[in-house]
Amino acid sequence: MSDKFLHRPAELDPFATALPRLDDALSRRVNSGPENVERGLAQLVLTIVELLRQLMERQALRRIDDRTLSEDEVERLGQTFMALAERMDELRHEFGLDPEDLNLNLGPLGNLL
Amino acid sequence: MTTTIAERDVALIDLIDRLLGGGVVIAGDITLAVADVDLVYVQLRALIASVATANEKNVLPRLGSAS
Amino acid sequence: MIELYAVVDHPGPRLPTLARLRTAATTRLAAIYAPADDGEISPERLWRHEEIVEALMQDRDLLPVRYGTRLDDERAATRFLTDREEPLVSALDDVRGAVELAVRVLRTGERPDARSRPDPVTSGAEYLRRKAGSAAAERSATLAVHEPLSAAARRDVRRPSSVTGELLRAAYLVDRNRVDEFVSLVARLQDANPALRLLCTGPWPPYSFAER
Repeated sequence: MSDKFLHRPAELDPFATALPRLDDALSRRVNSGPENVERGLAQLVLTIVELLRQLMERQALRRIDDRTLSEDEVERLGQTFMALAERMDELRHEFGLDPEDLNLNLGPLGNLL
Repeated sequence: MTTTIAERDVALIDLIDRLLGGGVVIAGDITLAVADVDLVYVQLRALIASVATANEKNVLPRLGSAS
Repeated sequence: MIELYAVVDHPGPRLPTLARLRTAATTRLAAIYAPADDGEISPERLWRHEEIVEALMQDRDLLPVRYGTRLDDERAATRFLTDREEPLVSALDDVRGAVELAVRVLRTGERPDARSRPDPVTSGAEYLRRKAGSAAAERSATLAVHEPLSAAARRDVRRPSSVTGELLRAAYLVDRNRVDEFVSLVARLQDANPALRLLCTGPWPPYSFAER
Protein backbone atom coordinates (compact mmCIF):
# COMPACT_ATOMS: atom_id res chain seq x y z
CA MET A 1 0.00 0.00 0.00
CA SER A 2 2.98 2.33 0.43
CA ASP A 3 3.46 1.92 -3.31
CA LYS A 4 0.28 3.94 -3.81
CA PHE A 5 2.26 7.13 -3.15
CA LEU A 6 3.11 8.93 -6.36
CA HIS A 7 4.02 12.21 -4.72
CA ARG A 8 4.28 12.75 -0.97
CA PRO A 9 5.69 15.28 1.44
CA ALA A 10 8.29 14.03 3.93
CA GLU A 11 5.82 14.54 6.77
CA LEU A 12 2.72 12.41 6.21
CA ASP A 13 0.98 12.68 9.59
CA PRO A 14 -1.15 15.74 8.75
CA PHE A 15 -2.73 13.72 5.94
CA ALA A 16 -3.69 10.93 8.35
CA THR A 17 -5.77 13.03 10.75
CA ALA A 18 -9.17 12.07 9.35
CA LEU A 19 -8.59 8.39 9.95
CA PRO A 20 -9.78 7.79 13.50
CA ARG A 21 -13.20 9.00 12.41
CA LEU A 22 -13.29 6.77 9.37
CA ASP A 23 -12.39 3.75 11.47
CA ASP A 24 -15.12 4.83 13.82
CA ALA A 25 -17.60 5.01 10.98
CA LEU A 26 -16.67 1.51 9.85
CA SER A 27 -17.14 -0.02 13.28
CA ARG A 28 -20.05 2.09 14.53
CA ARG A 29 -22.45 -0.70 13.67
CA VAL A 30 -20.84 -2.77 16.42
CA ASN A 31 -20.45 -0.01 18.97
CA SER A 32 -23.76 1.72 18.67
CA GLY A 33 -25.96 1.42 21.73
CA PRO A 34 -28.73 3.40 23.37
CA GLU A 35 -26.24 5.79 24.99
CA ASN A 36 -24.92 6.82 21.58
CA VAL A 37 -28.27 7.41 19.98
CA GLU A 38 -28.75 10.93 21.29
CA ARG A 39 -25.32 12.03 20.19
CA GLY A 40 -25.82 10.41 16.80
CA LEU A 41 -29.11 12.19 16.29
CA ALA A 42 -27.64 15.50 17.42
CA GLN A 43 -24.80 14.98 14.96
CA LEU A 44 -27.21 14.39 12.10
CA VAL A 45 -29.37 17.40 12.95
CA LEU A 46 -26.45 19.74 13.63
CA THR A 47 -24.82 18.65 10.38
CA ILE A 48 -27.85 19.77 8.43
CA VAL A 49 -28.15 23.01 10.42
CA GLU A 50 -24.45 23.71 9.91
CA LEU A 51 -24.81 23.06 6.20
CA LEU A 52 -27.67 25.55 5.97
CA ARG A 53 -25.75 28.09 8.04
CA GLN A 54 -22.75 27.83 5.74
CA LEU A 55 -24.91 28.08 2.65
CA MET A 56 -26.63 31.21 3.96
CA GLU A 57 -23.33 32.75 4.96
CA ARG A 58 -21.90 32.09 1.51
CA GLN A 59 -25.01 33.55 -0.08
CA ALA A 60 -24.64 36.67 2.12
CA LEU A 61 -21.02 37.08 1.02
CA ARG A 62 -22.14 36.83 -2.59
CA ARG A 63 -24.78 39.49 -2.05
CA ILE A 64 -22.15 41.78 -0.55
CA ASP A 65 -19.96 41.21 -3.61
CA ASP A 66 -22.90 42.21 -5.78
CA ARG A 67 -23.16 45.43 -3.72
CA THR A 68 -26.93 45.11 -3.48
CA LEU A 69 -26.96 45.54 0.31
CA SER A 70 -26.83 48.72 2.33
CA GLU A 71 -24.16 49.24 4.98
CA ASP A 72 -26.76 48.82 7.66
CA GLU A 73 -27.99 45.55 6.16
CA VAL A 74 -24.43 44.21 5.95
CA GLU A 75 -23.84 45.07 9.60
CA ARG A 76 -27.02 43.34 10.73
CA LEU A 77 -26.31 40.26 8.59
CA GLY A 78 -22.81 40.08 10.03
CA GLN A 79 -24.08 40.29 13.59
CA THR A 80 -26.60 37.55 12.89
CA PHE A 81 -24.05 35.18 11.41
CA MET A 82 -21.60 35.89 14.19
CA ALA A 83 -24.26 35.00 16.75
CA LEU A 84 -25.26 31.90 14.77
CA ALA A 85 -21.67 30.69 14.61
CA GLU A 86 -21.31 31.14 18.36
CA ARG A 87 -24.54 29.31 19.07
CA MET A 88 -23.47 26.42 16.83
CA ASP A 89 -20.16 26.17 18.72
CA GLU A 90 -22.05 26.01 22.01
CA LEU A 91 -24.36 23.28 20.73
CA ARG A 92 -21.41 21.29 19.41
CA HIS A 93 -19.69 21.48 22.79
CA GLU A 94 -22.84 20.41 24.53
CA PHE A 95 -22.94 17.19 22.54
CA GLY A 96 -19.17 16.74 22.55
CA LEU A 97 -18.82 17.10 18.79
CA ASP A 98 -15.83 18.51 16.90
CA PRO A 99 -16.19 20.70 13.81
CA GLU A 100 -14.98 17.67 11.81
CA ASP A 101 -17.89 15.59 13.08
CA LEU A 102 -20.23 17.91 11.22
CA ASN A 103 -17.89 18.21 8.29
CA LEU A 104 -17.50 14.53 7.51
CA ASN A 105 -21.18 14.12 6.90
CA LEU A 106 -21.27 17.14 4.67
CA GLY A 107 -19.82 14.81 2.03
CA PRO A 108 -23.00 13.28 0.69
CA LEU A 109 -24.95 16.48 1.31
CA GLY A 110 -22.32 18.46 -0.50
CA ASN A 111 -22.79 16.22 -3.49
CA LEU A 112 -26.50 16.81 -3.44
CA LEU A 113 -26.32 20.57 -3.69
CA MET B 1 11.08 -0.17 2.92
CA THR B 2 9.00 -0.58 6.06
CA THR B 3 5.49 0.77 5.98
CA THR B 4 4.83 3.18 8.81
CA ILE B 5 1.44 3.63 10.44
CA ALA B 6 1.03 7.04 8.83
CA GLU B 7 1.64 5.60 5.36
CA ARG B 8 -0.96 2.90 5.82
CA ASP B 9 -3.50 5.33 7.25
CA VAL B 10 -2.98 7.97 4.60
CA ALA B 11 -3.36 5.50 1.76
CA LEU B 12 -6.39 3.99 3.51
CA ILE B 13 -8.16 7.37 3.56
CA ASP B 14 -7.86 7.63 -0.21
CA LEU B 15 -8.94 4.01 -0.59
CA ILE B 16 -12.05 4.50 1.57
CA ASP B 17 -12.96 7.67 -0.33
CA ARG B 18 -13.06 5.57 -3.47
CA LEU B 19 -14.46 2.26 -2.32
CA LEU B 20 -17.30 3.79 -0.31
CA GLY B 21 -17.88 6.96 -2.30
CA GLY B 22 -17.54 5.72 -5.87
CA GLY B 23 -18.08 2.94 -8.33
CA VAL B 24 -20.98 1.82 -10.43
CA VAL B 25 -24.13 1.80 -8.33
CA ILE B 26 -26.55 -0.98 -8.99
CA ALA B 27 -30.24 -0.45 -8.46
CA GLY B 28 -32.53 -3.35 -7.85
CA ASP B 29 -32.20 -6.60 -5.97
CA ILE B 30 -29.04 -5.88 -4.07
CA THR B 31 -27.73 -6.02 -0.58
CA LEU B 32 -25.16 -3.51 0.49
CA ALA B 33 -22.65 -5.16 2.74
CA VAL B 34 -21.25 -1.92 4.09
CA ALA B 35 -24.28 -1.21 6.19
CA ASP B 36 -23.05 1.67 8.25
CA VAL B 37 -21.44 4.23 6.03
CA ASP B 38 -23.61 3.47 3.05
CA LEU B 39 -26.78 3.55 5.09
CA VAL B 40 -25.98 7.04 6.30
CA TYR B 41 -25.48 8.16 2.70
CA VAL B 42 -28.61 6.42 1.50
CA GLN B 43 -30.79 7.66 4.35
CA LEU B 44 -29.70 11.25 3.91
CA ARG B 45 -30.40 11.00 0.20
CA ALA B 46 -33.81 9.48 0.87
CA LEU B 47 -34.62 12.11 3.48
CA ILE B 48 -33.76 14.99 1.22
CA ALA B 49 -35.37 13.44 -1.82
CA SER B 50 -38.61 12.95 0.09
CA VAL B 51 -38.59 16.49 1.45
CA ALA B 52 -38.00 17.79 -2.07
CA THR B 53 -40.85 15.70 -3.46
CA ALA B 54 -43.17 16.74 -0.67
CA ASN B 55 -42.35 20.37 -1.38
CA GLU B 56 -43.05 19.93 -5.05
CA LYS B 57 -46.40 18.34 -4.37
CA ASN B 58 -47.22 21.05 -1.86
CA VAL B 59 -48.00 18.58 0.88
CA LEU B 60 -45.80 20.19 3.53
CA PRO B 61 -47.59 22.69 5.78
CA ARG B 62 -46.33 26.18 5.17
CA LEU B 63 -44.74 27.91 8.13
CA GLY B 64 -46.97 30.60 9.54
CA SER B 65 -49.90 29.76 7.31
CA ALA B 66 -53.30 30.44 8.81
CA SER B 67 -54.98 27.18 7.88
CA MET C 1 -24.83 -14.44 -2.57
CA ILE C 2 -22.20 -13.10 -4.94
CA GLU C 3 -20.10 -9.97 -4.58
CA LEU C 4 -19.49 -7.80 -7.64
CA TYR C 5 -16.08 -6.33 -8.43
CA ALA C 6 -16.16 -4.75 -11.85
CA VAL C 7 -17.89 -4.40 -15.20
CA VAL C 8 -15.63 -5.10 -18.19
CA ASP C 9 -15.75 -5.60 -21.95
CA HIS C 10 -16.83 -9.00 -23.18
CA PRO C 11 -15.05 -10.93 -24.49
CA GLY C 12 -11.88 -9.94 -22.61
CA PRO C 13 -8.57 -11.32 -21.34
CA ARG C 14 -8.59 -14.40 -19.08
CA LEU C 15 -9.34 -13.84 -15.43
CA PRO C 16 -6.45 -13.96 -12.97
CA THR C 17 -6.68 -16.98 -10.65
CA LEU C 18 -7.68 -14.97 -7.59
CA ALA C 19 -10.49 -15.17 -5.06
CA ARG C 20 -12.49 -17.66 -7.20
CA LEU C 21 -13.41 -14.95 -9.72
CA ARG C 22 -16.07 -15.68 -12.33
CA THR C 23 -17.93 -13.72 -14.98
CA ALA C 24 -21.55 -13.20 -15.88
CA ALA C 25 -21.67 -12.04 -19.47
CA THR C 26 -23.96 -10.55 -22.08
CA THR C 27 -22.90 -10.01 -25.69
CA ARG C 28 -20.82 -6.88 -25.01
CA LEU C 29 -20.27 -6.71 -21.24
CA ALA C 30 -19.28 -8.97 -18.37
CA ALA C 31 -19.62 -8.55 -14.62
CA ILE C 32 -16.76 -10.01 -12.61
CA TYR C 33 -17.84 -11.51 -9.30
CA ALA C 34 -16.86 -13.94 -6.58
CA PRO C 35 -18.78 -15.76 -3.87
CA ALA C 36 -19.52 -13.23 -1.12
CA ASP C 37 -17.86 -13.87 2.20
CA ASP C 38 -19.22 -12.60 5.46
CA GLY C 39 -17.37 -10.91 8.25
CA GLU C 40 -16.72 -7.49 9.67
CA ILE C 41 -15.47 -4.72 7.43
CA SER C 42 -11.83 -4.01 8.18
CA PRO C 43 -9.05 -2.10 6.46
CA GLU C 44 -7.54 -5.48 5.51
CA ARG C 45 -10.74 -6.47 3.73
CA LEU C 46 -10.91 -3.17 1.88
CA TRP C 47 -7.32 -3.65 0.70
CA ARG C 48 -8.03 -7.22 -0.37
CA HIS C 49 -10.94 -5.98 -2.47
CA GLU C 50 -8.72 -3.27 -3.94
CA GLU C 51 -5.97 -5.78 -4.81
CA ILE C 52 -8.43 -7.86 -6.78
CA VAL C 53 -9.74 -4.89 -8.76
CA GLU C 54 -6.17 -3.70 -9.38
CA ALA C 55 -5.15 -7.15 -10.61
CA LEU C 56 -8.01 -6.96 -13.11
CA MET C 57 -7.01 -3.43 -14.06
CA GLN C 58 -3.53 -4.66 -15.08
CA ASP C 59 -4.66 -5.93 -18.46
CA ARG C 60 -8.15 -4.54 -19.09
CA ASP C 61 -10.34 -1.46 -18.84
CA LEU C 62 -12.99 -1.68 -16.18
CA LEU C 63 -15.76 0.08 -14.28
CA PRO C 64 -15.33 -0.68 -10.59
CA VAL C 65 -18.57 -1.54 -8.81
CA ARG C 66 -19.48 0.26 -5.58
CA TYR C 67 -17.91 -1.68 -2.71
CA GLY C 68 -20.22 -4.02 -0.86
CA THR C 69 -22.61 -4.64 -3.75
CA ARG C 70 -24.09 -8.12 -3.54
CA LEU C 71 -26.53 -9.94 -5.76
CA ASP C 72 -28.35 -13.23 -5.36
CA ASP C 73 -26.68 -15.08 -8.19
CA GLU C 74 -25.16 -14.99 -11.66
CA ARG C 75 -28.56 -14.51 -13.24
CA ALA C 76 -29.15 -11.29 -11.26
CA ALA C 77 -25.76 -10.01 -12.44
CA THR C 78 -26.63 -10.72 -16.06
CA ARG C 79 -29.98 -8.98 -15.64
CA PHE C 80 -28.24 -5.91 -14.24
CA LEU C 81 -25.95 -5.79 -17.30
CA THR C 82 -28.83 -6.23 -19.72
CA ASP C 83 -30.96 -3.57 -18.05
CA ARG C 84 -28.27 -0.94 -18.14
CA GLU C 85 -26.21 -1.97 -21.14
CA GLU C 86 -26.10 1.37 -22.98
CA PRO C 87 -25.08 3.62 -20.06
CA LEU C 88 -22.57 1.00 -18.89
CA VAL C 89 -20.97 0.69 -22.32
CA SER C 90 -20.59 4.45 -22.65
CA ALA C 91 -19.31 4.81 -19.08
CA LEU C 92 -16.73 2.12 -19.84
CA ASP C 93 -15.73 3.96 -23.02
CA ASP C 94 -15.21 7.12 -20.98
CA VAL C 95 -12.59 5.53 -18.73
CA ARG C 96 -10.92 3.47 -21.45
CA GLY C 97 -7.11 3.68 -21.24
CA ALA C 98 -7.19 5.82 -18.11
CA VAL C 99 -6.64 5.47 -14.37
CA GLU C 100 -7.69 7.56 -11.39
CA LEU C 101 -5.21 9.62 -9.39
CA ALA C 102 -6.08 11.10 -6.00
CA VAL C 103 -4.79 14.49 -4.88
CA ARG C 104 -5.18 16.08 -1.48
CA VAL C 105 -3.88 19.52 -0.57
CA LEU C 106 -3.39 20.80 2.96
CA ARG C 107 -2.63 24.28 4.14
CA THR C 108 0.43 24.33 6.40
CA GLY C 109 0.99 26.26 9.59
CA GLU C 110 -1.47 27.58 12.11
CA ARG C 111 -5.07 27.74 11.08
CA PRO C 112 -6.53 31.23 11.36
CA ASP C 113 -8.90 30.81 14.27
CA ALA C 114 -11.17 33.74 15.00
CA ARG C 115 -10.98 33.05 18.73
CA SER C 116 -7.22 33.27 19.03
CA ARG C 117 -7.00 36.62 17.27
CA PRO C 118 -5.77 39.42 19.47
CA ASP C 119 -8.50 41.74 18.25
CA PRO C 120 -11.91 40.17 18.75
CA VAL C 121 -14.45 40.95 16.06
CA THR C 122 -17.27 43.10 17.34
CA SER C 123 -18.64 44.61 14.16
CA GLY C 124 -20.87 42.46 11.98
CA ALA C 125 -19.51 44.02 8.81
CA GLU C 126 -15.95 43.26 9.93
CA TYR C 127 -16.91 39.63 10.65
CA LEU C 128 -18.23 39.19 7.11
CA ARG C 129 -15.23 41.02 5.61
CA ARG C 130 -12.84 38.59 7.30
CA LYS C 131 -14.94 35.62 6.20
CA ALA C 132 -14.88 36.91 2.62
CA GLY C 133 -11.14 37.56 2.79
CA SER C 134 -10.17 34.12 4.01
CA ALA C 135 -12.62 32.42 1.64
CA ALA C 136 -11.09 34.27 -1.32
CA ALA C 137 -7.53 33.40 -0.25
CA GLU C 138 -8.42 29.72 0.09
CA ARG C 139 -10.18 29.67 -3.24
CA SER C 140 -7.22 31.10 -5.12
CA ALA C 141 -4.76 28.75 -3.39
CA THR C 142 -6.98 25.82 -4.31
CA LEU C 143 -7.34 26.88 -7.92
CA ALA C 144 -3.58 27.41 -8.28
CA VAL C 145 -3.25 23.64 -7.84
CA HIS C 146 -6.52 22.34 -9.23
CA GLU C 147 -6.59 24.20 -12.54
CA PRO C 148 -3.26 22.96 -13.94
CA LEU C 149 -4.03 19.42 -12.76
CA SER C 150 -7.47 19.56 -14.28
CA ALA C 151 -5.94 20.64 -17.60
CA ALA C 152 -3.62 17.60 -17.50
CA ALA C 153 -6.50 15.20 -16.82
CA ARG C 154 -9.29 13.85 -18.96
CA ARG C 155 -11.87 14.56 -16.28
CA ASP C 156 -11.84 15.53 -12.63
CA VAL C 157 -14.10 15.34 -9.61
CA ARG C 158 -13.78 17.38 -6.44
CA ARG C 159 -14.94 15.95 -3.16
CA PRO C 160 -15.93 17.99 -0.14
CA SER C 161 -13.12 18.23 2.39
CA SER C 162 -13.52 16.40 5.64
CA VAL C 163 -10.72 18.00 7.64
CA THR C 164 -10.05 21.58 8.59
CA GLY C 165 -7.19 22.99 6.57
CA GLU C 166 -7.79 20.66 3.64
CA LEU C 167 -8.13 22.89 0.61
CA LEU C 168 -8.55 20.28 -2.06
CA ARG C 169 -9.63 16.67 -2.21
CA ALA C 170 -9.95 15.63 -5.81
CA ALA C 171 -9.79 12.76 -8.26
CA TYR C 172 -8.34 13.06 -11.75
CA LEU C 173 -8.91 10.68 -14.62
CA VAL C 174 -5.53 10.46 -16.36
CA ASP C 175 -4.44 8.52 -19.45
CA ARG C 176 -2.28 5.58 -18.42
CA ASN C 177 0.63 6.87 -20.51
CA ARG C 178 0.41 10.35 -19.02
CA VAL C 179 0.60 9.38 -15.35
CA ASP C 180 4.33 10.21 -15.06
CA GLU C 181 3.70 13.60 -16.64
CA PHE C 182 0.88 14.27 -14.17
CA VAL C 183 3.02 13.26 -11.19
CA SER C 184 5.85 15.56 -12.21
CA LEU C 185 3.32 18.36 -12.58
CA VAL C 186 2.26 17.68 -8.97
CA ALA C 187 5.91 17.95 -7.91
CA ARG C 188 6.30 21.26 -9.76
CA LEU C 189 3.12 22.62 -8.16
CA GLN C 190 4.46 21.61 -4.74
CA ASP C 191 7.67 23.55 -5.41
CA ALA C 192 5.71 26.57 -6.59
CA ASN C 193 3.43 26.56 -3.51
CA PRO C 194 5.59 26.10 -0.41
CA ALA C 195 2.70 27.05 1.91
CA LEU C 196 0.75 23.99 0.75
CA ARG C 197 1.34 20.25 1.16
CA LEU C 198 0.40 18.13 -1.82
CA LEU C 199 -0.24 14.41 -1.74
CA CYS C 200 -0.87 12.28 -4.80
CA THR C 201 -1.81 8.58 -4.64
CA GLY C 202 -2.69 6.04 -7.26
CA PRO C 203 -3.12 4.67 -9.78
CA TRP C 204 -6.60 3.70 -8.60
CA PRO C 205 -9.40 2.05 -10.55
CA PRO C 206 -11.65 4.83 -11.88
CA TYR C 207 -14.05 4.69 -8.92
CA SER C 208 -14.89 8.39 -9.09
CA PHE C 209 -15.63 8.26 -12.81
CA ALA C 210 -17.66 5.10 -13.06
CA GLU C 211 -20.97 6.91 -13.24
CA ARG C 212 -22.11 10.17 -14.69
